[in-house]
Amino acid sequence: MAETARGMLGASCAWLRAASPVARIAPRLRPRIGVALVTIGALLFPVISRNDANIDSAANALAFAALALGLNIVVGFAGLLDLGYAAFFAIGAYTYGAFASYQIEPAWSGFWEPFQWLGLVAHTGDVVHFTVSFWLMLPISAAVAAFFGVLFGAPTLRLKGDYLAIVTLGFGEIVPIVARNTPSVTNGAMGLNGVAAPQLFGWSFGIDATPYYYVGVALVALLIFTSTRLKSSRIGRAWMAIREDEIAAAAMGINRVKFKLLAFAIGAAFAGATGTYFVAKLQTATPEMFMFPVSVMILVMIVFGGIGSVWGVVLGAMILQILQSWFLEDLSQWLHWLGRLIHVGWLQQVELSSSIEMIFGVILVTMMLYRRQGLIPATRPVQALSMTEQTAHVGSGGSSHNFDRLTGLGALDREAEGPLLAVTDMTVRFGGLVALRSVELTVPSHSVVAVIGPNGSGKSTLFNAITGLVTPESGEVRFAGESIARLPPHRVLDRGMARTFQNLRLFPGLTVLENVMIGRHARLSTGAVGALLRLPGSQREEEEAREHCREILAIFGNRLIPRADHVVSSLSYANRRRVEIARALASSPKLLLLDEPTAGMNPAETQELASQIKGLNQLGLAIVLIEHKLDVVVRLADKVVVLDHGEKIAEGTPDAVRRDEEVMRAYLGRSAAIA
Amino acid sequence: MPELLTFRAVDTYYGDLHVLKSVDYRIDSGEIVCLLGGNASGKSTTMKAIMGVVVPARGEILFENSSLAGVSVAERVRRGIAPVLEARRLFPRMTVYENLEMGAYTRARGPDFDEDLARVFTLFPRVKERLKQLAGTLSGGEQQMVAIGRALMARPKLLCMDEPSMGLSPAFVEQVFDIIQTINKQGTTIFMVEQNANMALQIAHRAYVLQTGQVVLSGPAAELRQNPMIREAYLGEMKVS
Amino acid sequence: MTTGALYLQQIINGLSLGAMYALLALGFTLVYGILELINFAHFNVFMVSSFIAMWALELLGISGQGVILTGFALVGALAFAFVVTMVAAGCLGVAIERLALRPMRAARGTAAMITTIGVSYILFNAILLTVGAESKNFPNPMPSVSWQVGGATLRLREVLIWSVALVLMGGLHLFVNRTRLGKAMRATAQDAEAARMMGIDVDRVIITAFFLGSALAGAAALIFGLYYNYTSFIIGYSAGLRAFTAAVLGGIGSVTGAMLGGIIIGLVESLGGQVFAVRWTDVIIFSILVLVLVFAPTGLLGRAAPTKS
Repeated sequence: MAETARGMLGASCAWLRAASPVARIAPRLRPRIGVALVTIGALLFPVISRNDANIDSAANALAFAALALGLNIVVGFAGLLDLGYAAFFAIGAYTYGAFASYQIEPAWSGFWEPFQWLGLVAHTGDVVHFTVSFWLMLPISAAVAAFFGVLFGAPTLRLKGDYLAIVTLGFGEIVPIVARNTPSVTNGAMGLNGVAAPQLFGWSFGIDATPYYYVGVALVALLIFTSTRLKSSRIGRAWMAIREDEIAAAAMGINRVKFKLLAFAIGAAFAGATGTYFVAKLQTATPEMFMFPVSVMILVMIVFGGIGSVWGVVLGAMILQILQSWFLEDLSQWLHWLGRLIHVGWLQQVELSSSIEMIFGVILVTMMLYRRQGLIPATRPVQALSMTEQTAHVGSGGSSHNFDRLTGLGALDREAEGPLLAVTDMTVRFGGLVALRSVELTVPSHSVVAVIGPNGSGKSTLFNAITGLVTPESGEVRFAGESIARLPPHRVLDRGMARTFQNLRLFPGLTVLENVMIGRHARLSTGAVGALLRLPGSQREEEEAREHCREILAIFGNRLIPRADHVVSSLSYANRRRVEIARALASSPKLLLLDEPTAGMNPAETQELASQIKGLNQLGLAIVLIEHKLDVVVRLADKVVVLDHGEKIAEGTPDAVRRDEEVMRAYLGRSAAIA
Repeated sequence: MPELLTFRAVDTYYGDLHVLKSVDYRIDSGEIVCLLGGNASGKSTTMKAIMGVVVPARGEILFENSSLAGVSVAERVRRGIAPVLEARRLFPRMTVYENLEMGAYTRARGPDFDEDLARVFTLFPRVKERLKQLAGTLSGGEQQMVAIGRALMARPKLLCMDEPSMGLSPAFVEQVFDIIQTINKQGTTIFMVEQNANMALQIAHRAYVLQTGQVVLSGPAAELRQNPMIREAYLGEMKVS
Repeated sequence: MTTGALYLQQIINGLSLGAMYALLALGFTLVYGILELINFAHFNVFMVSSFIAMWALELLGISGQGVILTGFALVGALAFAFVVTMVAAGCLGVAIERLALRPMRAARGTAAMITTIGVSYILFNAILLTVGAESKNFPNPMPSVSWQVGGATLRLREVLIWSVALVLMGGLHLFVNRTRLGKAMRATAQDAEAARMMGIDVDRVIITAFFLGSALAGAAALIFGLYYNYTSFIIGYSAGLRAFTAAVLGGIGSVTGAMLGGIIIGLVESLGGQVFAVRWTDVIIFSILVLVLVFAPTGLLGRAAPTKS
């Protein structure tokens, strides 16, 4: 009975959806039309609703939407939990306030003359009045806030997530306290008053909310534009890589320091500009406006709306702000009426607007427990493969694949003499444990070297030491003739050495193509400006990168191409291994380090991958391979190196090594006879 | 001899990765049974399945003829299965004595506890000397002694050892394997996961060899010692149907 | 007062504050040691407990500073208040763990910590909405007995605070080092998986940590009330900051570290307020917090380094 009802309901919904006008619009156009409708609505709002109080609330809501967008960059995109975000709001506010409040009146002196000439100050009698334009201050406060963003962010770079949060909280609290205690600049606890209203062509904004509203709309539109452009660019991908797996991000060439500071700076800039806007609108600034509860409120807004989703956080901020200013008032009145109706005393007294923080707390806990992705989740669920795609014969690519279009792979600038990679006397110690002892390894150009050995012999540690993830106690690493020891991982990738990980370190929340595109990060050069403006050079670069990555996916036949837009966590284990290899290849390396690439694959898949690796080597790519399956080693390796307990115990051709008694003893263990 | 522990067609997965593929084991009371195999063969997963940390997707694990499905880790210890963990994993900032106490966590204090403590001291005189030392400051070999002692404090029927020779010098390895034999002769059944096939086969009664999650060889240790196919299994070369 | 006496007075004050912060920091560090979770709600459990303590005393008919008790009556009244407050606080802590934190145990990253921020908010506003924003006069039955020591005044309440704190810290030390469950807690903090394989019920250990930690916060809350003669909805923030810094300074996860850190921060607050102005103490404490986390994350006695590998 219930089944039939549910079925009918489902069918009628589907019919309605199909018959409605929405269905007639192509899916690709839907978001654009949605945005157009929202824009028109926003522009017409003050015309439709003539109520100044409503417009004022809306303008405030827009300020919080802007703050939410800024925090979204730091927390949502880059994964850095900043609990002191309101500090940047304060800095933007006080920067403008200090230059626009009649309460700040330094003494006149010759120092101020050039500024008077520029029109930035005026003087009456002995004191200076600032007459800096609001419009000029907007970018200036954003820049000042960005500077502090870098300043506060820099100490947190090495910290784990929760400690980063605490340190940012610390800074976030120090700022209002300093504001409260330096009255000469900020008028202390009483706050700055008499902040001048913005002027446009000589006409002052006054107290009517409408002009502020439109400035707010413009500001939010600009920030939405900036956020979406950055998100889909190389910058956004770098941030998301850092968020998902910082170590893998570094190994794929991302300069973590630079991008984390960039996230802090841009997020702070958003808040700085909003601070200026908010203070100009309120014409006052007090320390209470910028304390921890404000930071928490913005956090609740982005959690509620959808962490990482640009429109989600705007929606979350607007809903919660409007809830606070409109809805709760009305709801309180309704509850009073209800209380009178049913003669319940306390209902008649309740003032919901003062319990807004309580509501925020409840919303935060509820969302974290039951819907952590928020109202509008950042990742869209992907369509399942169609039946035809699922049952398609799996083309394996392999040696028949046309590799020629993969330019740059394995190519060396000049045929250097000497080996491509030379590791000498490598010793790695963890506390008291010696993981590697005086290991020596040479990899000739265009060759395949296999590293084998029992569990715990130090193979992965060797990879980590070569690629800069682990600092060796001693030893030298020369790549293409240059020393790379002690370089950070992203520079190692830059030089041309890419790797995969034994336990898979993909970026779980990102799609296959996004993962592989991140591999290409170091070979691209689009910066924030290029991303924002979509300069032709940047667009071309992005297109070429996309093409290149698709080519690489095509190496694996049609195993990965149909799944290019699927989130990698939904892929099979074997496919995930392939994606990680594709990601490493995307950086056009000269040397590829593969750590157990065939782990978890059945014999057929193993042979397929072995063919593909052979094909890559024939293209010129040198490969170092950690592998347990000896048939793969025999098929691929020119040379085999055997490690045991951190030391190299044998080296030679696969056949020779296989017959070596020392190697056998390493694997099977020494018997008591040989002490 | 009655069956103590049995695996029947056990499959385990790690995400969608098929780790153990329909494996069967049988350990009889009083035996020393070894599980051998190279890297990534599924040895550790077997241990985790016995302890209850990993739950089989298919098949059953029986202890003393009753199923372990749904039985918590703590309950398994109470029923008589005690682990000696890979890389020892003593509690580093607790004393040797406290570590031994933790081994006996599921048991009440009383004369039995004192008896077992005395037994541990007899087996491992070095442990008795270092009772008040913090476990993290001991050498690898000493830690292994304490780890075995800690497991014995649970007075287990089945002692599960995960790579007892890992990280030990050859001299210590000999000592440890001697002690394992002694413990076995005193009545404890031993199931040992080991990479060092040579040493293990010298003290085991029977052994299984795993390669990528499947049992490829099994039988009395004496036979396996002569079997050249072990080398192939370790190098991942054995052809499996 | 001579300068020496002034400083001695501040040291006395500092030790009393330190005792309170130490108890609060202990509760926090117990949970962190096992779960590696920064529990923001802890400091508002402290605040709520101060109201519970107030109500417990009022239940006995004591309100304001009007009713003075001595001898056994005093001891009895205080014992009653401590027991009631600590048990209630413990139950509150466990309730929070069961309802809001247990479902988050598998969540990666800072998700669980964010949830504690939400819970903290709920507690804070629950009190604000029901009790109001004004400070409440805290019932204090202690007679104003005091002694002169080297020019400084030592009051009965200070002696009480030190005694209670010592007893509780001693009790915790005994629990953690001499009882089976206490040792199980230490074992779980050092290696939770190995602990589970010893047959230790890790879930029970976690509940115990929350109960004990919150109970200590409850004791600290009663001490706060008796020391300052007031309580309000906002005390969690300031005391929380100091206790948190104390825990981090002492070495997060370390029980002895929390005690040591508490004393140090207490002294920093009282002496710092003397040397600089009181309004800068918050900044000083925050700065210590930031400096320790950035430059010496293991603190004085801690071991777990909160940095990425």
